[in-house]
Amino acid sequence: MLRDAMLVAGKDLRIEIRSRVGLNQVGPFAVAVLLLFGLALGPDRQVLAPASAGLFWVAVLLSTILAVQRSYAIESADAARDGLRLSGLDPAGIFLGKAGAIAVQLLVLEAALTIGVALLYGAHLSGALVLVAACAAGTLGLTAIGTLYGVVASGLQTRETLLPLLFLPVVAPVLLAATKAWDAALAGTPGRAGGWLDVLVVFAVLYTAIGTIAFGPLLEDG
Amino acid sequence: MNGYVEAGYVVILGTLGTYAVTLVARERATRRRIDGAPTTAQGPSREAADTSALPQLGAEEPGPRLS
Amino acid sequence: MSTASHPARTDRATLALRGLGAVALAGVAATVWLGLFVTPPDEFMGNLVRLLYVHPPMAWVAFLAYGMAGLASVFYLWPRTRAERFDRLAGASAEVGVVFTGLTLVSGSIWGRPTWGAWWVWDPLLTTTALLFVLYLGYLALRRVPGDFHARARRSAIAALVAFVDVPIVYFSVDWWRSLHQAPTINLITHKTYVHGSMAWTLLLGFVSFTLVYIWLVAHRYRLAKLQDREETEGLEVALAERRAEAVAG
Repeated sequence: MLRDAMLVAGKDLRIEIRSRVGLNQVGPFAVAVLLLFGLALGPDRQVLAPASAGLFWVAVLLSTILAVQRSYAIESADAARDGLRLSGLDPAGIFLGKAGAIAVQLLVLEAALTIGVALLYGAHLSGALVLVAACAAGTLGLTAIGTLYGVVASGLQTRETLLPLLFLPVVAPVLLAATKAWDAALAGTPGRAGGWLDVLVVFAVLYTAIGTIAFGPLLEDG
Repeated sequence: MNGYVEAGYVVILGTLGTYAVTLVARERATRRRIDGAPTTAQGPSREAADTSALPQLGAEEPGPRLS
Repeated sequence: MSTASHPARTDRATLALRGLGAVALAGVAATVWLGLFVTPPDEFMGNLVRLLYVHPPMAWVAFLAYGMAGLASVFYLWPRTRAERFDRLAGASAEVGVVFTGLTLVSGSIWGRPTWGAWWVWDPLLTTTALLFVLYLGYLALRRVPGDFHARARRSAIAALVAFVDVPIVYFSVDWWRSLHQAPTINLITHKTYVHGSMAWTLLLGFVSFTLVYIWLVAHRYRLAKLQDREETEGLEVALAERRAEAVAG
């Protein structure tokens, strides 16, 4: 299973490196979101800085949707989805591979967004360990759900509108917990983030497990 | 203050009542449509055959009814 | 799937349903009468307490419906118990549930305005209910996407479970989130301890009556779904037979 996962992840990442859609589209999208938030909430850093954590994570959530849609869009060309089904690869491995590839891209994006948030909102980057831990656990949870719902939506005609509708409410706890963890870190009290990190880890583990099991049947249905 | 209480009750009872009524109405309508529609192939296909280019074959028995 | 006319419903089932409906209606009527007229105003909340006879039952049913949809989904996914009826039950329960969830939010909001001075507060229960509402809507949207019955049922069931597992996480997170801000959390559970005498009975009656209403509504929604599926299948068979006849004639 893990070998199949590495295979699929490798393929997805290679496609990304070659096509650079993540770099050219999802990245700028995320930056645009940050800018728009800045415009919406006003130039006063007193308002923006405390909100940095939340705005960061909302941008990440929205970017996850795009990343997931992109990840499945590459499968719809040349009936690649059928190829995937018939390839004999372990579906759980396919799930982990796709989720993993998306996660890697998101982590790179988050690094860039962290700089963006520090720059645009004047967020004071402290508690780096907590920031990173929250990103790791949060991203894993987001990609697990995203990859699972992505395979559901990708086989359907209403996929563009269905995916966000399904995805966003379910990951609300990730948004909450990750924001709180980041808030604690940015405020200089990383100790308070402990419980929130636990929530993120539980979420990530739970939904990675569910996704691994449920992915196979859903892949067949498409 | 009382206005709020009345509003709450009206909204709840009104919504549930409307929903219940529409459910029953839809159920009746669907049932009527099912009972009204021909359940064998003979009815509509005979009409279809009649309007086809070969009316003399319209009297032929259509294919076996699917079950 | 056989289209032999299953005499719509056996008369017993329809009668039982009518009886249930009558009892439910009577219960609701009694709750309203007791709640609005017979019970005394609360010493703290005044007449606003009357909303507490109907708002918590709405919330209870919203979560009950959700649980039923989740349970039915599990039965559908489990190969040994897989049956069309569980998919239909899940869908029916979800549709009724979304109505009650909306009503929970509205009644909670109506209660909140005079109580807290705002149409909305980020109370953990209310916030979780709001998220539940959106989760429901997503589930129902997914069910509407056309496709092969089994495929659609399976993906809907998985979506229902994903969301079902999420709800406690959401509640826990929001509850903790709120507690950090030391804002007044209206805890309906503790508030109920102030309720006694006729108020307690009315509240209990409210819970029971609206649960009966829920069952009645789900039963009808289920029947409707079954009829719609039958209509679709029969329509398909008629169309196929027509094609065959044309092929024979032409």
